[in-house]
Amino acid sequence: MSQTVNYFEVFGLPRTLGIDAGQLQAKFYELSRRYHPDFQQSAPPAEQERALTLSALVNTAYRTLRDPIARIEYLVRLEEGRDTREGSAVKPAAPPELLEEIFEVQEMLEDAKASGLDDEGRNRLAAERDRLVARCRQEEELLTGALAADWDEASPAGRPRVVAAFKAALATRAYLRTVIDDLEAALDPAGETDVTHHRH
Amino acid sequence: MAYSDKVIEHYNNPRNVGSFTKDTPGVGTGLVGAPECGDVMKLQIKVNLDTGVIEDAKFKTFGCGSAIASSSLATEWLKGKTVDQAAEIKNTDIVNELKLPPVKIHCSVLAEDAIKAALSDYKAKWGESAGAGQAAATATTSS
Repeated sequence: MSQTVNYFEVFGLPRTLGIDAGQLQAKFYELSRRYHPDFQQSAPPAEQERALTLSALVNTAYRTLRDPIARIEYLVRLEEGRDTREGSAVKPAAPPELLEEIFEVQEMLEDAKASGLDDEGRNRLAAERDRLVARCRQEEELLTGALAADWDEASPAGRPRVVAAFKAALATRAYLRTVIDDLEAALDPAGETDVTHHRH
Repeated sequence: MAYSDKVIEHYNNPRNVGSFTKDTPGVGTGLVGAPECGDVMKLQIKVNLDTGVIEDAKFKTFGCGSAIASSSLATEWLKGKTVDQAAEIKNTDIVNELKLPPVKIHCSVLAEDAIKAALSDYKAKWGESAGAGQAAATATTSS
């Protein structure tokens, strides 16, 4: 295996998003064993070094492809040729009404913090957080569901349109996650990050 | 990562924080965001409709120290400039003034975007000059 293959190629997969988790894991175990430093101790130093690089590549590739969202983020980077000279990281335009909404939530959070968080304030923030978490989940379902299926079925000519849709949904998700994190931090300054812990 | 003294100074003493009512005559509003980090920035200018000079500017940014400093600096620079002069402010000027490291350059880009958005909103709402039609066209392509 070459050291410059992309993460899909590491596992001998086409550049599609419908990946069987079980097959991916089985292939990961197989490749991990093949390149594991412990099994390379009698190999010449250059060979050992190569195996170490590949072992790291296999790990990163698996971590990325295993997670359906990270898989899409990686696909978008790959399709845009980012990290390369001719890379064109075109920023998706955020929907204006989303920015307005995020801004309003942030202002509400700021006011709530300024007036000291009483029970009523906390309940309002928690309700807002729950609403946004649900929105975020919807966006993730759109990404890993309908849009991922679109990608796998798209003709080469139709692919840029799907990439643009991925980027818009990923941007929406990024905005939502930031404001959700900020709400979490205000509701639990001690830094508990386990979201399920906050459910009543 | 270490912030420069100027970033810290603006962060601790941000200038011109606040907002104008959107429909006040001469007010242009720009609301922009950075999807990479989820930051949102609102920047407003208040233009004297007789002279075309920006009399006041305000901002409100929910984001990192560099984003706050970039928009704070931008409002300082905007005051006293004409609308045309304001359009010449470049993100690189902000980078140089605040000594932003490469990973924070996008914060200055955000501030430049906010200035441009505020200017085109102003022109669309209040500008009777030739620039008004142009500004409206820019506003529609950004959706």
